[in-house]
Amino acid sequence: MIFSSLIFLFMFLPVVLVLYYLTPKRFRNLTLFIVDLIFYSWGEPMLVLLMLVSVVLNYTAGVIIGLNRKKKKLTKAVFIIAIILNLGLLGFFKYVGFIGETLNFVMPFLNVPVLKIALPIGISFYTFQTMSYTIDVYRNTVKMQKNIITFGTYVSLFPQLIAGPIVRYEDVELQLTTRKETLAQFTDGVKIFLIGLSKKILLANEMGNLWDSIRGSGAQGGALGAWVGIIAYTFQIYFDFSGYSDMAIGLGKMFGFEFMKNFNYPYISKNITEFWRRWHISLGTWFREYVYIPLGGNRKGLPRQILNLGVVWFLTGLWHGASWNFILWGVYFGVILTFEKMFLLKLLKNVPGWISHIYAIILFVFGWVIFYFEDMGEMGGFIARLFGSDGFEIKGDITVTIISYIPLLIAAAVISTPLIPTLYHKIKSKPVLYVTENAACILAFLLCTSSLVSSSYNPFLYFKF
Amino acid sequence: MKIKNMIKYLPAFVFLGFIFAFMILYIVLPKESFSAQEKKQLSEFPEVTAEAVMNGEFQEKLDTYLSDHVPFRNTFVGLSANYELISGRNGKKGIYLGNDGYLFPKPTKDGELLHKNAGFIKEYADCSDIPVYMTVIPSSGYINNDKLPLNHEEYKDKELIESIKPELGENVDFVDVTGVFEEKSKDKQLYYKTDHHWTSSGAYECYRLLAEKMGFEAVNENSFEKETVDGFYGTSYAKCALWWVSPDSIELWKNKEQPEYSVNVEIKDGKDTKSGNSYFFREQLENDDKYPVFLDGNHSLVRISNKSAKGGKLIIVKDSYAHTITPFLSQNYSEIIMADLRYYKQDISLLAEKEGADAILILYSIDNLANDNNLSYLY
Repeated sequence: MIFSSLIFLFMFLPVVLVLYYLTPKRFRNLTLFIVDLIFYSWGEPMLVLLMLVSVVLNYTAGVIIGLNRKKKKLTKAVFIIAIILNLGLLGFFKYVGFIGETLNFVMPFLNVPVLKIALPIGISFYTFQTMSYTIDVYRNTVKMQKNIITFGTYVSLFPQLIAGPIVRYEDVELQLTTRKETLAQFTDGVKIFLIGLSKKILLANEMGNLWDSIRGSGAQGGALGAWVGIIAYTFQIYFDFSGYSDMAIGLGKMFGFEFMKNFNYPYISKNITEFWRRWHISLGTWFREYVYIPLGGNRKGLPRQILNLGVVWFLTGLWHGASWNFILWGVYFGVILTFEKMFLLKLLKNVPGWISHIYAIILFVFGWVIFYFEDMGEMGGFIARLFGSDGFEIKGDITVTIISYIPLLIAAAVISTPLIPTLYHKIKSKPVLYVTENAACILAFLLCTSSLVSSSYNPFLYFKF
Repeated sequence: MKIKNMIKYLPAFVFLGFIFAFMILYIVLPKESFSAQEKKQLSEFPEVTAEAVMNGEFQEKLDTYLSDHVPFRNTFVGLSANYELISGRNGKKGIYLGNDGYLFPKPTKDGELLHKNAGFIKEYADCSDIPVYMTVIPSSGYINNDKLPLNHEEYKDKELIESIKPELGENVDFVDVTGVFEEKSKDKQLYYKTDHHWTSSGAYECYRLLAEKMGFEAVNENSFEKETVDGFYGTSYAKCALWWVSPDSIELWKNKEQPEYSVNVEIKDGKDTKSGNSYFFREQLENDDKYPVFLDGNHSLVRISNKSAKGGKLIIVKDSYAHTITPFLSQNYSEIIMADLRYYKQDISLLAEKEGADAILILYSIDNLANDNNLSYLY
């Protein structure tokens, strides 16, 4: 089930809220766990079993490790087995087809059968969550969770189940058992949820339409059109992803949870190091915490640090999808970040802010080109178009489409910056604040609903028989 | 709770009120089984079986059910249309809002099919024993170019029509209405504002041009008594969802000299038949979309006979634009057979032979000619 759907907004959510708040406090995790499973199995009735396997696996590992602290060998063995199984499940369901294809490409004589397996939704997110738990229990930085319902609730919590943020067990350990839902928090949650919903429906979807139209128009758009297109995609992916994170954070608050902020205006960054501190923060934190630092981070000399960065960014790329372009995308950022660490950051400090801002924009926008095209040939064609292989000006009907999206492009650019929240916090008059706030909420919800309803509206012109 | 706090938490109450009201309305509102606007059967609540739930069929059907029965559906679709319009995306739903309340479907694009269809017509005409006439009706957006919004895709109807003319060969007698329509549209309304079709005036202009080419004498405009019916909301209106746009009026032209009951209309759709004594099927005026008042809208085969006409038998291969012009042509042909290839899936050359027709008229709007893939049924 996705948040931006009629069934979620007007059936699932109201029913779940009623059930949740009617449940006595100590059973609320059970209620949540049950609705989580329904939420997940809505689109994947069978694959919910896989998630349950993951829950049982990590729960068991946690308990064994927790109960046998003194038996170092046993805990180590259990830990290693658990990690292998976790990565094995993720690897099998997400990467087996990719590995097969790659092997066949490199060594065609092998002729490995390529398995086509449907990717279980959210597996990359929940596997990383469960691993954070098992690793931390093993490192003895968190206590084991004895209650499997509580643990299951943590893993499958529907607000962040499908698209993050990747919540570390450590961060919600207390909330799982002692959270206190308040009306103030609920109200906050509603506002953040509506912001996220609007980002997704009113901006991301529309930017996606523009990007699709521009790609569909082929060579007509020329270099300028291609740049507008990739900028539209830049906005689409940001508003889509951060919209989902906002919705998750907002929904979490409605049930008394506080999740970490996942995006912090990444597009205002002045260098790529800053960009990655602001983009998908929970993923960056995970890799730093569980890969980069355990590998030695920056404490073992520059060559080792560069190697560590290479590993982290190769994995970051791979995490995003089972295709070489994602790996290329990760490595692309790994290389830039290495250069920045070595000398670029110092250099950028001495130039005017707008130059370093443009430097960052060009690099992350170009990054999205690599991210988007899974087919290297298409990627090459598009990059050539960006540099004028089909001329520079926009011709034909796509001009009309691009012009019609100018207001939304401007809105997207403004909303990518903290300008509106800054202005909003300047409002000191309480009545003005309340009126604005409520009007904005109502308008946002009406527009989102109408856009959802409208997408299924299809007057039939020629009707017969 | 203090009033001050109530205000602070109002967004939460508004949100909750909204989602719960929506859910309750979903459950309690009576469900329609048919949507007149979208002309489709609306889905019923899906059956809950273990199997349907396990393979996801139930979930999928429930999604369709929910979107079919959204409370206040039209209000929401209208809101979204207005939002799109004011945020710069006029034409997002495929219809431009122009000046004077005109709605224009987006332009017809050139494509392979248009030229393939021209090829089918050529091949048909090359083998036909009887004269083949053809006319292509340009779109409202092309003719009313001055009423289009500032930012719009280019209408290339004239270019398209010119490009197929040579492809039709010498055995098709082509009647080009484009020039005359551009001229006449300055002081006459040739197209409806809320529909893509031409008006009776538009059809009449075409009728006069056909008369010159086909060699009959067109009935003078003054001989017609014009009856005006208001409140016509066409298909462009339904598509664009800008509910505040004003309706059109529709004109029914009747020849004053034509004796009553001289007309007989026989409609055939496979095994279904229907007949009438007028070109106009008035029960259709009850609907918002009143265009089917002309010859009852789209049917597979319609035979129109007029006892008071001089004689002659004409076959019209057509789309819905023909429904307005056929009553005029019926003044000059005692029998007209309209065949719609979208539904009449039989050979037209056989039909012509069987009926002993005197001439064939192929009449299409540019949009259907470029998008209809049934012209292979000609021969």
